[in-house]
Amino acid sequence: MEILAVRNLTFTYPKCSSPTVRNVSFSLKRGEFVVLCGATGSGKSTLLRMLKRELTPVGDISGNVLFCGVPIAEIDNVASISKIGFVMQNPEQQIVTDKVWHELSFGLENLGTPTDEISRRIAEMASYFGICEWYDKDVSELSGGQKQLLNLASILVMQPQLLILDEPTAQLDPIAATDFISTLKRLCQEFSITIIIAEHRLEDVVPICDRLLIMEKGALIASEPPEDVIRRFKDRGDILCGMPVAARLYAEIGDSGKCPLTVRDGRAFIENNYGNSTRELPLNEYRHSEEIALEYKNVFFRYERNGRDILSGLSMKVYRGELFCILGGNGSGKTTALSAAAGLLKAYSGSIKVFEKKISEYKNRSLYRECLAMLPQDVQTVFLKNTVRAELDECGADISELPYDITQLLDKHPYDLSGGEQQLVALAKVLAAKPKLLLLDEPTKGLDAAAKLNILNVLRILRKNGITVVTVTHDVEFAAAFSDRCAMFFNGMIVGIGTPNEFFSGNSFYTTAVSRMTRSYYNNAITIKDVVNLCRLNGRKEK
Amino acid sequence: MRSFSEYNPIVVTVWFFSVTGIAMFSSYPLLMLISLLGGVLFFTVRNGISHGKEHIFFWVLFLILTLANPLVSHNGKTVLFVMNHNPVTLEATLYGLNSATMIVGVLYWFRSFTQIMTSEKLLYVTGALSPKLSLILSMALRFVPLFSRQSVKINNAQKAMGLYKDDNIIDDIKGKSRVFSILVTWALENGIITADSMEARGFGTHRRTHFCRFRFRGSDIALIVVSIALLVVTAFSVGIGSLDFSFYPSISVKTPGKLGIAGIISYIALIMIPIIIETEVSLRWKYLRSGI
Repeated sequence: MEILAVRNLTFTYPKCSSPTVRNVSFSLKRGEFVVLCGATGSGKSTLLRMLKRELTPVGDISGNVLFCGVPIAEIDNVASISKIGFVMQNPEQQIVTDKVWHELSFGLENLGTPTDEISRRIAEMASYFGICEWYDKDVSELSGGQKQLLNLASILVMQPQLLILDEPTAQLDPIAATDFISTLKRLCQEFSITIIIAEHRLEDVVPICDRLLIMEKGALIASEPPEDVIRRFKDRGDILCGMPVAARLYAEIGDSGKCPLTVRDGRAFIENNYGNSTRELPLNEYRHSEEIALEYKNVFFRYERNGRDILSGLSMKVYRGELFCILGGNGSGKTTALSAAAGLLKAYSGSIKVFEKKISEYKNRSLYRECLAMLPQDVQTVFLKNTVRAELDECGADISELPYDITQLLDKHPYDLSGGEQQLVALAKVLAAKPKLLLLDEPTKGLDAAAKLNILNVLRILRKNGITVVTVTHDVEFAAAFSDRCAMFFNGMIVGIGTPNEFFSGNSFYTTAVSRMTRSYYNNAITIKDVVNLCRLNGRKEK
Repeated sequence: MRSFSEYNPIVVTVWFFSVTGIAMFSSYPLLMLISLLGGVLFFTVRNGISHGKEHIFFWVLFLILTLANPLVSHNGKTVLFVMNHNPVTLEATLYGLNSATMIVGVLYWFRSFTQIMTSEKLLYVTGALSPKLSLILSMALRFVPLFSRQSVKINNAQKAMGLYKDDNIIDDIKGKSRVFSILVTWALENGIITADSMEARGFGTHRRTHFCRFRFRGSDIALIVVSIALLVVTAFSVGIGSLDFSFYPSISVKTPGKLGIAGIISYIALIMIPIIIETEVSLRWKYLRSGI
């Protein structure tokens, strides 16, 4: 049964010369799981918002959207609100009330549902999602992943048939994101709820989706099962760069046969088609300079006198000119370590030295002058002005000195930029202070693959200019592609450290997809480039 | 088997305002004394011997309030001594003592009240008056801490980026004002998303129902009836003037009639209700636990 049909939909924002969504047609069957992808600014969000009447933006619309055969403008209020659910990107800002149980009941209260009915539905939902333990809590005590799950649950209590999600995992760490996606899969399979989701992190969703929709400059250019899409767009690097590694490998070297999507299928694909007589690529030996840029020596830190140690005996050295990555799970103390180095938190024992001088000896905030700068996780906190130009003027940044171009953004409001653009402008602001040591907290959070690649190139150029970069990240693929050395953070200290090759081939769970895919078949292959080269070296097997 | 704080919040609120209302609208010294003793007793039953600092604060305040009145007011017949050509009178001193008793007593009650009434209960009580008001309060309760957390975040971000160039107060204030102005923008920006989320979940389309997790049980009804009955007796006896007491020009006491005595007894009973409930609960629990 067709639950949603979009016919020749075109949408133009007021005062815009060209349409944001042009002539889009597709339909969704009941119980389908569909992923919508495309570069930032390709019109995904606008399209999704047009599928829910209450969120349809103001502008010129032509064409129509039918829900169960009825144009959405004509559905009655209650059905439109409860049958079509919408989850947005930012977990924090969608939440309305202060208590978990109140948030769950919010939608039903609005619909005028009797209280007995509300309490039953909430109980059901809380049990299904395992929310019971935090049912009584304040919303502010929840983690990002829990908040997003709460947003989903508070939509589901209204029993929707169609669920629209606009980049719901962009702000989550990888584990929470994977959990969230598998919850969606469960909903789709167990209740045949129809799901359409826009995503950047395609690694998890593509293998489970029924169809992949791809948008480019407002038009829908593909609407097929993922295998077919990948085969068709083999040569389009910009579309493929966010896909699962197995699919990217197939696009590089596969020619016929089924396209693998998961690590398991990718492994089978390599073993069936390529030999392993050459097991590893020659490694470039890594030499760091002898000068120490940042040193922790037995650092202990806790937030409260009777709390637990967040940093417990942290010791490590970062050398001048390195790109250094700190990886680790949520709450392992990565960000705390970075804030301590930036002088925002004070360790109660141990010492932190920046360029061989204790941070307490940098008097009168000289630490932040031509020495060290930190970019926080939430880049929005970096901006203070109404235009990018004012923002850059304020800190005396000279855009001609930047290794990238942001001139076309100068007259925009920093809050109106995409995540990747915000990151670049924030970086420009930070670089104005001419730091020699740059601390970055999750620079790739919420970015699409193209924007990530862009940041990566910028960081490489910075290193060439002699800047030391210490990055805290969850993103193992990014760390593998970018860093000189990686360290694993656990329980307030470093438990493993080494070059990406040593580090990721030593780990068996916390490692890149390529490393998991080629483990014990090839040695030291951690990026897609490595495995492509190895496969080419070994040559195709004769059948 | 519930302790007093677990009764329906409306009942608890009615009881609290009965107790403090009598204390505030009457000036009969015996009632003031009962209220103060009850307040201290209730607070210590709930908290044990902790909160030493609060006790000290209340009793210092008590002393100041008692001494302040005779220094400012010079009414009264009986002059105790003359200070700086101003008479200090017995009546003014006793009046000060009486108001101090009233104020500190009410403070003790409200301290316990704020401990018992968590934000959730407060919302329930306001929700009973108006669901919309309750929603606004709930959003504010969430938003205010969010706002202050974001302000700390922005401040830290700016500090680590070298916004505050020098270590002096003027620079700090300049920086803070910039942070505040962007916070307003951020709050509005945030508000748009929250508003979208509310609209998407049907806010404003129907008459809202008010979901709450508290119910009225038999014991709630019993408690509220008893509280109101006791309040009426006391209020009546205060209202018709059988519990009258005047300090100026000289202290005059009318011996309370039967109604006055009934008023005093009901006030004692009103104040003792939660203490009786707590004791009963702990005894019963002890007995039940012996059977486990």
